[in-house]
Amino acid sequence: MLSARFSRVSPTLAAFRTVSKTKQAKSATAGAIAYRKGIRYNSTAALYYPNEPKKPQAVTDSIPGPVSVELNEVLGEVFDNRASYFVTDYDNSIGNYISDKDGNQLLDVYCQISSIPLGYNNPELFKTAQSKEMASALINRPALACFPPAEYANILKEGILAAAPPGTDKVWTALSGSCANETAYKAAFMYLAAKKRGSLDFSDEELTSVMNNEAPGSPETVILSFDKGFHGRLFGSLSTTRSKALHKLDIPAFKWPKAPFPALKYPLNEHSRENAEEEARCLAEFEEIICQYPPHTIAAIIVEPVQSEGGDNHASSVFFQGLRDITIKYDILMIVDEVQTGVGASGKFWAHEHWNLTTPPDMVTFSKKFQAAGFYYSNPNLQPKQAYRQFNTWCGDPSKALIARTIYQEVVKNDLVTKTASVGDYLYKELDSLFKRHPGKAKNLRGEDYGTFIAFDCANPTKRNEFLLRMRGAGINIGGCGDFSVRLRPTLVFEKSHAAVLLSAMETTLQEL
Amino acid sequence: MPHPTISVCEGYFPEEPVAPVVVTSSPGPKLKKAADALNKVFDSRAAYFVADYAKSQGNYIVDVDGNSYLDVYAQIASIPLGYNNPKLVEVAKSDKMTSAIINRPALGNFPGADTEEIIAELLKVAPKGQDKVWSGLSGADANELAFKAAFMWYQSKKRGYSSGFSTEETESVMKNQAPGSPELAIMSFERAFHGRLFASASTTCSKPIHKLDLPSFNWPKAEFPSYKYPLEANVAANQEEDRRCLAIVENLLKTWAVPIAAVLIEPIQSEGGDNHASNEFFQGLRDVTLKYGSLLIVDEVQTGVGATGTFWAHEHFNMSPPPDMVTFSKKFQSAGYYFHDPEIIPNQPYRQFNTWCGDPARMILAGAIGKEVVDKDLAKQAARVGNYLYPKLEALAGKYPAYMADLRGKNRATFIAWSFKDASLRNKFLADMKTVGINVGGCAEDSVRLRPTLVFEEKHADILVAGIEKILSSY
Ligand SMILES: Cc1ncc(COP(=O)(O)O)c(C=O)c1O
Ligand SMILES: Cc1ncc(COP(=O)(O)O)c(C=O)c1O
Repeated sequence: MLSARFSRVSPTLAAFRTVSKTKQAKSATAGAIAYRKGIRYNSTAALYYPNEPKKPQAVTDSIPGPVSVELNEVLGEVFDNRASYFVTDYDNSIGNYISDKDGNQLLDVYCQISSIPLGYNNPELFKTAQSKEMASALINRPALACFPPAEYANILKEGILAAAPPGTDKVWTALSGSCANETAYKAAFMYLAAKKRGSLDFSDEELTSVMNNEAPGSPETVILSFDKGFHGRLFGSLSTTRSKALHKLDIPAFKWPKAPFPALKYPLNEHSRENAEEEARCLAEFEEIICQYPPHTIAAIIVEPVQSEGGDNHASSVFFQGLRDITIKYDILMIVDEVQTGVGASGKFWAHEHWNLTTPPDMVTFSKKFQAAGFYYSNPNLQPKQAYRQFNTWCGDPSKALIARTIYQEVVKNDLVTKTASVGDYLYKELDSLFKRHPGKAKNLRGEDYGTFIAFDCANPTKRNEFLLRMRGAGINIGGCGDFSVRLRPTLVFEKSHAAVLLSAMETTLQEL
Repeated sequence: MPHPTISVCEGYFPEEPVAPVVVTSSPGPKLKKAADALNKVFDSRAAYFVADYAKSQGNYIVDVDGNSYLDVYAQIASIPLGYNNPKLVEVAKSDKMTSAIINRPALGNFPGADTEEIIAELLKVAPKGQDKVWSGLSGADANELAFKAAFMWYQSKKRGYSSGFSTEETESVMKNQAPGSPELAIMSFERAFHGRLFASASTTCSKPIHKLDLPSFNWPKAEFPSYKYPLEANVAANQEEDRRCLAIVENLLKTWAVPIAAVLIEPIQSEGGDNHASNEFFQGLRDVTLKYGSLLIVDEVQTGVGATGTFWAHEHFNMSPPPDMVTFSKKFQSAGYYFHDPEIIPNQPYRQFNTWCGDPARMILAGAIGKEVVDKDLAKQAARVGNYLYPKLEALAGKYPAYMADLRGKNRATFIAWSFKDASLRNKFLADMKTVGINVGGCAEDSVRLRPTLVFEEKHADILVAGIEKILSSY
């Protein structure tokens, strides 16, 4: 059992805990007013969260503490919570700090698996959540494609679409990363079939065979993904997920192809030739796999800008431009999965903007930090010719579109992408020198010039898991990825002061490891 | 039955319109403009109209031109308690809801202090025999999560619940190949609808347009009974139909090339035409799935939450033992599946998993909806209103037999449907109903389905019946 080595709860913090969420939000709003009057704060976190803790606080000797354990036992009777870290007290979580039900307060660089954009109990999101529009969106949930609300076009234009990646101007909304990807696959399959069919209507053979789940109506077309890719866990998305066996075992899958993803060597500047060769090898193999399929069989490829669940594997712009060139050459759509990389963390709003592709991707999927999910596109033919084909009951969720709008507007207003890029630069450099001080314990630092989207490897899976646990003991909630990597996925209001807390906890932990 | 002085609906909606108001032909000028604007960025070619939800009340939906329609389609059967229900407004404005919206948890990793309480509310209205739940985000998602549970369960029966995976399994699965990624199937029924993601679309068998051009799993379809109506006059023929269909199910369970981990069925096939089947058929299905070691999943996405007169439609069937999983979404606002066998929980964490594992904001609403339905006895009220409405429709069917064939849904509250001779007549009827201020939907090619809220009462039924009569008498 780990003992808590971070400081005991302070009286001020105890007092803070009794302040209601509403009051916290209100005092933050006062801050916002001051801001608008021209008083410039450098720290958006201080503006949002005047009461954000300065450092982690521990009240129990180990996490999960006794209260968490007890609550989890009750919950476990009815809901599978075996993956639970601890039971969270969301009311007392604030900014970059997550609180558990025992009263421990941790700096959070995992953020609900990379899905908290602006910190806990953000006052601007609070306002949106309390708005009339939100109440209506919640209680009058529309079947969006049949009975869209009058304001939906504007909500999209001011939010999700204002954030559209360069080269895209339309969106289809969904509910999670998995279903965002699957709706994009559907668009790709229907697009490919329509293209092959030309202007013809469906044939009788197609119309009858499809009802038996057979070709030609239900064709043997495929989506190509990459080794170690993660794209979700429903049946189509899971067939493209290649991260870990445990994600896939016992579930029937489509026999779709996968291509190798570059395994780069670090530090990059010391391995530029080898890495270029590795990327060239992967591109060649990618093209070879494509050539093994008859033309118009691969509807699309899907790729993450950084393979996140699979271990934070990066590749260079040259590699991605290569993918784009080859997909264009063979008339295959390119889907970029920005579910985890999107919305600012990489130092660009969309991570694939780092590549400066000559032709933008055909579809870009999103979820997580944006709270709303779906895919962007521009080619109108990605919208099937007949209505009711890309369709379901809800076709998205206006309440999430409202939240996404506020998230986008706050990111822009507070320049959070630029700030994240600069905090990331600081953090990366500090980590680099930290790891040099502890050789052999942490290596392959990744994410230079990539905002706070940073990761590194431990010596092996056991050491990695020990590292994560010790960090929790030191007051940092942090997650792993791949088999032996650690990933940082903080909010967009994670600043230098938070980075300093993280770094000092890492220093101690690495020493002890 | 004497009416209480203030009905549930009047209690909720003192200002509900007393009748539809039609001010423009459909689509009106503002609607056309709004729909075009939206369509530029979001595919809205399926739009019936662009709605003004702030002005919609109770059973009435208002469009941007100011037309106010009595809504018996209710967002494809997904509005439980009427538009702008004051109880739900309270819930939407609560601190609990605000927190759920702005601090959306990854529920599997970081459940909140109130997660247990939120789930307890969902479990209070669990179908008989079910005491656990796993949450999802839509009907298709709920079903696919249930399929995953079924497949993991099936393999664990073969392997032993606590046995580990073989190296061959862990290696082959990364190539999407057996044995790690096994050849297993879910059986569904002809004319079924279970959603439109890849696996759910493989079990959907309603219309080609729902499925065309999408790769699918080659999973089997049994036949769902096709009854002759009226039921009372065709008892023997329909019993024979049950037997015929059950024999097909059994034959597929015995002979399908790959094992069938679960059989999936709707209590009433809704999108596929409101096709009903008897208690005996469902009990037969339960028996045969037990005999062959397959799970039985009941898809209550459209039938659940009161509209058939019981909270869950399959409760009408008194199946014994109860189904293994029951999926839900739509009217409940939250989605997922109920179950009871602890071995339907996979043997390791992170197998039934995703980022959010549901949405507490929607789960809170579901709990509140469940509570209102129970407190106000709205399933019973729906039964009462259905029993009031059904004979009136029966009388209309007698008067206009050319336009109202196979009236279905007797003793199924307001979950009522009938058929036209063909699609074009049916479509004309649906469009014409707008001119009398009624928003109504179809199902299958030739049917009309009623999917009103649970606060649809006798006075609304009167307006509906008068509207139908007005249109049919003009044909
Ligand atoms: C890149 C990527 N795509 C898709 C998904 C699936 O998202 P969800 O869990 O919301 O289905 C994830 C989740 O981790 C992801 O990281
Ligand atoms: C019985 C049934 N199952 C599943 C679904 C799919 O639900 P969703 O559209 O939310 O994916 C529907 C939708 O109409 C349905 O009626």
